[in-house]
Amino acid sequence: MPHLNKKRFFSSKKYRREFLEGMFLISIAVLVNFVFGYFAFAYAFYLSFFRWDYITEPLFSGLDNYLKAIDELVKGFFGAKWYEVPFFMGLRNILLYTIIVVPIQTILAMALAAIASSRIRGSSVFTTSYLLPGFTCSVIIALIFIYFFSQRGFINYILNSIYPDFGYPDWLYSKILIIPAMAIVAIWGTSSNFAILFIAAMQAIPRDVLEQARLDGAGPVRRFIHIILPLIKPTIIYAVIVGTVGALQMFDLSFVMAGPQGGVEYSGMTVVLDIYRTAFAQLDPGYASAKAIVFFALMYIPTVLFLKKYGGGFR
Amino acid sequence: MRKRVYYELIAFSAGVFFFVVYTIPFLRSLIVSFMTWEQASRIPPEWLPNPFILENYLRLFRIELFPRWVLNTLLYGGLVSISNVLLGLMAGYSFALLKYPGRDLLFNALLALIMLPMFVTMVPLYVILTQLNLLDNIIALPILGLVNVNTVFMARQYFLSLPREFFEAAKLDGASHLRTFVEIALPLAKPLIITITVYQFLGAWNSFFLPVIVLKSPENFVYAQGLNYAFSRVWYVEYTPIIAGTLVGSIPTLLFFIVFRKFLIGGIVIRTYRR
Repeated sequence: MPHLNKKRFFSSKKYRREFLEGMFLISIAVLVNFVFGYFAFAYAFYLSFFRWDYITEPLFSGLDNYLKAIDELVKGFFGAKWYEVPFFMGLRNILLYTIIVVPIQTILAMALAAIASSRIRGSSVFTTSYLLPGFTCSVIIALIFIYFFSQRGFINYILNSIYPDFGYPDWLYSKILIIPAMAIVAIWGTSSNFAILFIAAMQAIPRDVLEQARLDGAGPVRRFIHIILPLIKPTIIYAVIVGTVGALQMFDLSFVMAGPQGGVEYSGMTVVLDIYRTAFAQLDPGYASAKAIVFFALMYIPTVLFLKKYGGGFR
Repeated sequence: MRKRVYYELIAFSAGVFFFVVYTIPFLRSLIVSFMTWEQASRIPPEWLPNPFILENYLRLFRIELFPRWVLNTLLYGGLVSISNVLLGLMAGYSFALLKYPGRDLLFNALLALIMLPMFVTMVPLYVILTQLNLLDNIIALPILGLVNVNTVFMARQYFLSLPREFFEAAKLDGASHLRTFVEIALPLAKPLIITITVYQFLGAWNSFFLPVIVLKSPENFVYAQGLNYAFSRVWYVEYTPIIAGTLVGSIPTLLFFIVFRKFLIGGIVIRTYRR
């Protein structure tokens, strides 16, 4: 409010009243979110410097928790046994998962959106079927897919009818296949959420631009690459960032499909599941908070750098 | 012209392919939920239940806690919807239409919280709930979700999109902002109220991470959590009742999706184009 002088503002009865009414209306929303957001964040930061068990007096331990977290990552990197380094296993798995999920889900979402916004026969029926999984509970989706991923399940059947030598592995108990299994479930479930964004972005493209390109003789592929793609670039950046941040935080699929213990030799462990276990199974909230803050930093520093570099048109 | 037909054929086949990919898991589950486990685990898969049984659903409804889980989830969804509509609309209206010092600062501070992931704050939230004696209590969930930042943001965008004149007239009449809010803004906000309710309700129905942290005894679980619990305890050998449970659990989603599709999709689009 550049046109209002602060002093005059508070001396005027009308403005003072607007201030009080405004503050009253936002008070609960601001209070609740500040307590559960900023205060909780500060408290987690504080706890990360303590050794504690929820009951006795917290014991100040300096940077011990952070050193332990970094030590786990370094040791894991140099080949320590899986049971010594759950944090490293979680980080390794979640990076693999994210690298599988984000590109496929983004490209798939664009393809779905392209089909949905094309005027081909049946596109509205198609759209409905594409969007439903995105609103369904991820735990329910995971439970459905556990059945499909079982040894005698649907997925092995399909893979064997395409490629007969595939065999009949039990995906959820395989150290190699559990993360791809979770990635498939995640892609199936969330690509539709991102498809909605792309549908909206594609509908915002002016019709006459596309019509002109068509008259100039550009086919659908060229129209897509030279017109649609540049125009939906901000949406792509948004989908990649939100998708990455979301994938890195994956917890429920791992909890349901690999189990709360993180699966066979931690093959289905994720960082957030490890933090959860540290906090509530091993009752070490200080260490859990330190790991959470380390992961938070690892997650957001690249995001911010990426946004600085490519995010010109974003927001 | 020929080329165009060719392209349309490709697009149509792709459409059909993805249609199959996105509906088969639901369809297959529906069929399997009427099968015996013995038949459901055959290879190659069979597509006609023989014998056709309802036993899977009956076993699901026979779990003592099943109605509790549904009721818990409904309570959570109901409370969180009411509080979000009321408090979110109040805050959104204030942020959109009133002018006072500190308004934009507070709004930006709220908006920044979207970036704060739950895994950072879960230990403190757990400690706060312990202090409030709310651990293992379903009420803890609507308290944590009392008014979501996303709700406030959606409400603000909505009120900003309405023509100013609606509110100017009331202002000239000397009505207070609180009165304008109740008498003018609320009746105008019907689509917004539906969107928020649908989102919060589905959010509660789909929630898992918070319930897993907060709720400890099976009788307090929400639906998804209970289903996962039943799966890992009771029927590890027979999976068909769980499939039946997933379908029952998808019913609210399906209903909401059919009835409120427009609002659900609109909500996602609003969330993307922040500011």
